[in-house]
Amino acid sequence: MKKILTTCVYCGCGCGLYLHVDEGKVIGASPSRKSAASRGKLCIKGWLSGDFVNHPDRLSYPMIQRGERQIRASWDEALSLVASGLKGMGPSAVGVLTSAKGTNEENYLFSKLARAGFKTNNVDHVARLCHAPTVAGLSYAFGSGATTNPISSLEEADAILVVGSNTTEQHPLVASYVLKARSKGAKLIVADPRRTQIASLADIHISPRPGTDVAWINSLLNSIIKEGLADRDFITKRTMGFEAVKESVLSYAPEIVEAICGVPAEVLREAALAYGSADKASIIYAMGITQHTTGTDNVQALANLALATGNLGRPGTGLYPLRGHQNVQGACDMGALPDLYPGYQKVVDANARAKFEKGWSTKLPKGPGLTAVEMIQSAETGKIKGLLIIGENPMVSYPDRSSVQRALEKLEFLAVCDIFPTETSKLADVVLPAASFAEKEGTFTSTERRIQRIRKAVDPPGESRSEWEVAAELLRRLGVPGDYSSPAEVMEEISSMAPNYGGVTYRRLGAASLQWPCPSRDHPGTGIMYIEKFPIGLARFRPVDHMEPVEGPDGEYPLLLTTGRSMYHFHTGTMTRRSPLLDREVPSPFVEVNSEDASRAGLRNGQKALVETRRGQLQLEVKVSPGVPKGILFMPFHFSEAPANLLTGASLDPSSKIPELKISAARLRKVSP
Amino acid sequence: MKAFLPNESLIPWLKDLSSSLEVIAPVDVEGEAVYQTWKGQPPALVGNTLSSPIEVLMPRTEVLFRYVQDSGRYTFDEPKVPTRIVVGMKPCDLKAVAILDRIFGSEPTDHPYLAKRRSTLLVSLNCTDPGPWCFCAIMDSGPDAQEGFDLALTDIGSGYLAEAGSAAGVLLIKGCSSGLFLEADGSHEASRDILLENARSVMAEKYGDRSVGHLRRAIRSADWEYLGRQCLRCGGCSFICPVCHCFSIADLGVPDGERVRCRDTCLLSGFSRMTNGANPLGSIGERMRNWYLDKFEHLPERTGLIGCVGCGRCDEICLAQIDRWRLEVLDERSRQQRQQHK
Repeated sequence: MKKILTTCVYCGCGCGLYLHVDEGKVIGASPSRKSAASRGKLCIKGWLSGDFVNHPDRLSYPMIQRGERQIRASWDEALSLVASGLKGMGPSAVGVLTSAKGTNEENYLFSKLARAGFKTNNVDHVARLCHAPTVAGLSYAFGSGATTNPISSLEEADAILVVGSNTTEQHPLVASYVLKARSKGAKLIVADPRRTQIASLADIHISPRPGTDVAWINSLLNSIIKEGLADRDFITKRTMGFEAVKESVLSYAPEIVEAICGVPAEVLREAALAYGSADKASIIYAMGITQHTTGTDNVQALANLALATGNLGRPGTGLYPLRGHQNVQGACDMGALPDLYPGYQKVVDANARAKFEKGWSTKLPKGPGLTAVEMIQSAETGKIKGLLIIGENPMVSYPDRSSVQRALEKLEFLAVCDIFPTETSKLADVVLPAASFAEKEGTFTSTERRIQRIRKAVDPPGESRSEWEVAAELLRRLGVPGDYSSPAEVMEEISSMAPNYGGVTYRRLGAASLQWPCPSRDHPGTGIMYIEKFPIGLARFRPVDHMEPVEGPDGEYPLLLTTGRSMYHFHTGTMTRRSPLLDREVPSPFVEVNSEDASRAGLRNGQKALVETRRGQLQLEVKVSPGVPKGILFMPFHFSEAPANLLTGASLDPSSKIPELKISAARLRKVSP
Repeated sequence: MKAFLPNESLIPWLKDLSSSLEVIAPVDVEGEAVYQTWKGQPPALVGNTLSSPIEVLMPRTEVLFRYVQDSGRYTFDEPKVPTRIVVGMKPCDLKAVAILDRIFGSEPTDHPYLAKRRSTLLVSLNCTDPGPWCFCAIMDSGPDAQEGFDLALTDIGSGYLAEAGSAAGVLLIKGCSSGLFLEADGSHEASRDILLENARSVMAEKYGDRSVGHLRRAIRSADWEYLGRQCLRCGGCSFICPVCHCFSIADLGVPDGERVRCRDTCLLSGFSRMTNGANPLGSIGERMRNWYLDKFEHLPERTGLIGCVGCGRCDEICLAQIDRWRLEVLDERSRQQRQQHK
């Protein structure tokens, strides 16, 4: 019997936990008092995070496609096929999707594999579907696209604005700090079309029509300026471009905005006053802001709000883009992005390219590659012929499932590396079995830029291997120098190539953690960013204007479908649906409907309904919920038997290329029994 | 029987034990004491661990049996029960064992629990330094162990006063290498009494306003709907509680596999939901109330013992700013005032 200190594998909070091990098997998980982030607490998924590790469905040997079947193969055979299969297609026809579930070391090596091995910048990961607008928007505004303050700093806020984040369900640890601040008297403002748990705990609940975020955020700024609550001193000393924004928000008076987003002008004014008059105010946001064709503008609107009120660089202030995966921050940091090398160094910057060509001893491709959704779309048109997918399940997580399936089926070569068989791995030519978080060493970087270790608790099942070993082996086969004996060695290379990880070593991490930027071995890491200056010198305002969503409701599809998650499941459910308690809690797909819309369709709670959009239709159970406003349907996307993404569309935000997963025009019908 | 184990003899004694038994003791893992198999490192016999050693008897997940299908016939294979000795179990957790013994020992008896219980020796450590959340003295389950231990230790500075509570406990003293245990004298017992009295008064000062009667009244008057809205539904209060013992069963694997049982929590709606979807405890507030009723009304009726041992762990791990004893949403300001007042 032993306990291994590690980091949770689910959301981006980065909670520390012990895996309980007996007879060589993980039998449970419990919180760690010493964790800098979670301090002896866990959410339900954390408490049950060891459940899936032993599941008999785990992939345990490599497989290759033979005729209609996938048959067992040796690692040597499988890896040779992957290396030669993808290499042969040429750089512009190959893509790599890495995993936000993998470690930093793994993402770094796969980023290197794509660029130095396959000579392509077509490398991306699931951040494209979550916080690409944050990376784009906040990099422009502040010079860095990550959470500005530690999670614990929320406790000191006088006002907290939560936008498009179901915090109590998706980031319970963050919610616990929000509740702490609230119990000390902080004002809580929640913007969400649905009356979620955190909305029901709020002092002010803003329920805008989906897709109108820029409008109501601008109206908050309009009132703040009008009431004289803008921080003139901060604006003058630390920012540029305020006058243009001031000008542009003039047309967003609360009364005008009320007509656009359906929120009473009084509520908007009250929210502006609560946020604007607080000495220390924080903003938390998530997918409700980013998964729109206006995603980058939405992020900028929030940045404008924080800049105009001087709510940056101090405890209790800042912006918190909450990361969904435990290492989606790290995957971005490691350059698993088509336009950025590790450490956010631009692919188009000749100096950066020269640095990586030298460090990796090879020539590197010029110009940014394709984003994740573009790779899938290019596969459908035949431009991309081969894909290596690490720990992702685009068949369930990407928009417009039918076209994803067509794209993946059209590929000449598909290799998938995962811990469980998925809807995506079933289409693969080669399936590589991976070790889970409980079976390997490495580091994860949480939503608060906190780099923490994970530790091997048990052996991986069968022949499965850590993804870093897979990447290192593929690099070797492609003739790229680099002989790694451990993730610690990979981290040494990372710290030499990525300036924000410059001071990170396994020796320093030990039981502790480091928050980047941590540029040197003697640097303590950075909790609160931008205390004195922004990486770009002065922070940048940018005026943003309201634009209607691409696919609004109409006569044919009168309702608006929005997607999200359940507290008890994670992403495509490959892990949580194999946990007996989590699966029992929410065992089947459902659609939440307002009672008026339900009765118009002749539906009662628990009956089967048909939900249709222009992409497809699904039959699933109706949950009549007072928390959903009239005209809106809500559906979680975890369930492969009723995949919500069969219904969603792939209209992209022009700057970050995130698809508008939050808005699809839909209709609802009763299924005759 | 009483004896004295000097500090320098502790590790040799554990070594002695580990030659025939698996010793489970708190050891330091990256700065925090956790129970695990002792491998020669200095034991961390300080404070209370966040995870209770009750997990030795009631693991978070355990295999009940393995099933193997061969030509249409199933054969079953039960896992071996290890022979273990837990060293350092606090009186609160020991009291929890007493409650579990009554629950799992009553008809129909629970074989997997009792098999482990029979093959596990318990060496308790009286609590001379209660943690910030501890109130065992109020619940009459500490700071010293009354019964249920094979051997009870008290850290009196220079070593441990050891008191046998069973025949096995006498053997633990007498059966080990000679010279490890010395004779105990009156001064050892006097030190023990002073230390325990001090621990008792620390808890009385901090948590003197807690009582079972007070909590029962709070259960009746609490605004459960309001508390339910605040609860972040982590289930931690069940998973961490040494008395909570509900479990769920799952078969993992077809056609061969394992039947496992895992600790469950009544905070989940799936715990009480019927197959037709109806739920007698439909809201989270009702389920929280049920959690309290079980400990303070139902368990006392069934076992004669209060289902709370005052370990304070549910207070410590609660994500949701709920004062778990007053049954109110925690208001930091009034809490701080209260603490200053003390």
